[in-house]
Amino acid sequence: MAVVVPFGQYIPGNSLVHTLDVRMKLLLVVAYVFALFSCGWFGLLVCAAALIVAYLVAGIPLARAVRGLFPVLFILAFTFLFNAFTFTATPAQSVAFDTVSLFGTALEVPQSISLIGGFGIVPLGVVRGLYFALRITLLVSVTTLLTFTSSIVALTDAISSLLSPLRFVGVPVEDVAMMFTIALRFIPLTTAEVEKIMVAQSSRGVRFDQGGLIKRARAYVPVMVPLFVNLFKRADELAAAMESRCYEGAGRTRLKVSRLAARDWVVGLAGTAFFVALGVLSLLGVL
Amino acid sequence: MLSFSKVCFEYPNSATWALDEVSLDVALGKRVALLGANGSGKSTLARLANGLLLPEAGTVQVDEFSSLDFSNIRALRQRCGVVAQDPDTQIVCTTVFDEVAFGPQNLKLDVAEIYERVEKSLAAVGLEGLRERDPNTLSGGEKQRLVIAGVLAMQPRYVVFDEPTSMLDAQGRAEVLAAIRDLQATGHGILHITHNLDEALEADEIAVLEAGRLIFSQSRKEFEQRADLMERFRVEPSAKAKAEIFGRPQQKPATSLVLERVSYTYSAGTSFEHQALNNINLTVVQGSVTLIAGHTGSGKSTLLRVAAGLLEPTEGAAFIETAKPNSKIELNKELNKEQINVQKATSKIEPGMVGLVFQHPESQLFAQTVFDDIAFGPCNIKLVSTPQETEDAVREACGLVGLDYGEFAQRSPFTLSGGEARRCALAGILAMKPQFLLLDEPTAGLDAQGHRFVAELIQKLRAQGIGVVVVSHEVDFFAPLANATLALDAGRSVPWQ
Repeated sequence: MAVVVPFGQYIPGNSLVHTLDVRMKLLLVVAYVFALFSCGWFGLLVCAAALIVAYLVAGIPLARAVRGLFPVLFILAFTFLFNAFTFTATPAQSVAFDTVSLFGTALEVPQSISLIGGFGIVPLGVVRGLYFALRITLLVSVTTLLTFTSSIVALTDAISSLLSPLRFVGVPVEDVAMMFTIALRFIPLTTAEVEKIMVAQSSRGVRFDQGGLIKRARAYVPVMVPLFVNLFKRADELAAAMESRCYEGAGRTRLKVSRLAARDWVVGLAGTAFFVALGVLSLLGVL
Repeated sequence: MLSFSKVCFEYPNSATWALDEVSLDVALGKRVALLGANGSGKSTLARLANGLLLPEAGTVQVDEFSSLDFSNIRALRQRCGVVAQDPDTQIVCTTVFDEVAFGPQNLKLDVAEIYERVEKSLAAVGLEGLRERDPNTLSGGEKQRLVIAGVLAMQPRYVVFDEPTSMLDAQGRAEVLAAIRDLQATGHGILHITHNLDEALEADEIAVLEAGRLIFSQSRKEFEQRADLMERFRVEPSAKAKAEIFGRPQQKPATSLVLERVSYTYSAGTSFEHQALNNINLTVVQGSVTLIAGHTGSGKSTLLRVAAGLLEPTEGAAFIETAKPNSKIELNKELNKEQINVQKATSKIEPGMVGLVFQHPESQLFAQTVFDDIAFGPCNIKLVSTPQETEDAVREACGLVGLDYGEFAQRSPFTLSGGEARRCALAGILAMKPQFLLLDEPTAGLDAQGHRFVAELIQKLRAQGIGVVVVSHEVDFFAPLANATLALDAGRSVPWQ
């Protein structure tokens, strides 16, 4: 098939976000996620602002980030609706009130407003729903920014580099990294293969879109069997090709010992410190 | 010297020797071609050359290193590189650079040395500019050249090529053959395993393997004088198949498979947008053979999916056109003449009407027995309902492809040889009694005998009134069999050359 199956969503570029060492980017994302899960509204808005700035610096249209949210749209909607509405609303005359402080003023907010019988809006739930939805939005958007600005190859290299200290406790880091690499190479090939076998079996009258669950699952037998047979065959050929070039597992020359530049250290550590501080201060109730 | 002396090898659970006392020498700077039919033991020899397999009797010797001493294995593998058929299963890494560095890294060389070797090897195969590319985005020829570069970075003295062009289109094949010539010119000893006569005739010496035994091993000159061997490996449709093409009276074709102004765009509206087909017109009448040629990526596979009714074109339409038998003869008053008004009905392409046979269809076999696999399609489309009907359909299909029903019906399709599995897969499609048959590279990987089988099958089907479409790189082989041709380039129809 002529079409290269799109895998990963790397958008090449030369911005600061693109060229920052991927290990630092991973560290930043971890710190950012820590902040997201520790902050209140104020911290969340700071995080949102920081992410928007990062997208602008990377030169990636925010629309791309929004498109990345489509797969979690259902979760977002569910989170919001679940918090904002209730089926146990109390009638207006007997409703209880919550006291909230907004900019120093105390406000009396009804716990629920009945719309039809027990079904009603929870005013504080609306706020809470928005808060959780924003948190998920930021969580997804920060990881998509990472994949927009780092190639899959750079990501695996970074992960195996970050894991490398584990070799001292007996983890076969190099073998794991090699498995990652091979998996990455074979995912697009396998995807193309699945598509091809499915088309071939459709032309033999298999319908993948008809019948109940069991019937549909059974339709995949003629896809899975040849797929696995071919994968084993390929694995055998690949192993032969690797052994032919003297692959014996560990002890290979390490080529990529890329050093972190001063800029990577500054941006990475300053950013990490900022988000960790934001999270910790929120947890302590200072913010 | 890379030398095999009286090498014997047999696979477990096999009654016969895969290789039986094979002796063969490849000197530095020489090129030896090893010719043999599918299943003659050629690939086994390739795996023995660098210690992936060890001989049961006899020895393999690379310069001073013998396969008898297991501690030599590493030296053997470094000195004798192997390039196999499918580049996709030989490429390990995710960038071109890493792929070439893979071998030297295993040899635990210095970083500086590795960089130097990678640059040299990439330059040797002309891939310098593609260092950071993902191998999945390369063409077939580029991928195979990358594999060669990966082998060269080990600095071998001998390279064994095991059918290195069988998965490539014409251009990729030319690229790889040029790379092999360059290797010989730089003093490497080459063992080129092939079933292609033209490729073999480029060698200094030619050896012929038959059922595990070497039946000929002499200079090219001597080989060219052996008319019997030349004939055996020449790839040409048999005289019988050729004679039949124009010898049969043309009956009026009633049904056609029509592609009208078909365009297809993948992932429209995204950054991966790719127009695979652009305004293609094609009419395949019953009882004819249409040959489609084009490079990998020309849109052939998309065209086949559309023609098989499995992909809805973005623009245009694919349908079956049938001339109505009761076409009226009307009097045209203005011209005062009788005019035949052929009425045509169009209908959707239903499952089973158009059979689609992909390249290497044997890799889609799945059932427990050959019988079940062949019966799968006819049962799915409810062409057969009783066990008797099913058996008849399977028997008939087996007959068409020359598989002995009694011998094969109850065997597992995974125990078949390459050629038998290809026949079984073809039978699975033919058992659905398609009116049209689309064949994608039906001769890929087949030897001369396999080629003749495909040519004869196409003629047989044509004579039965089936409209056959063949997509192939092997234009010279199929052109004499075709009534119509279509050349594709970058999704467009271009003039036939």
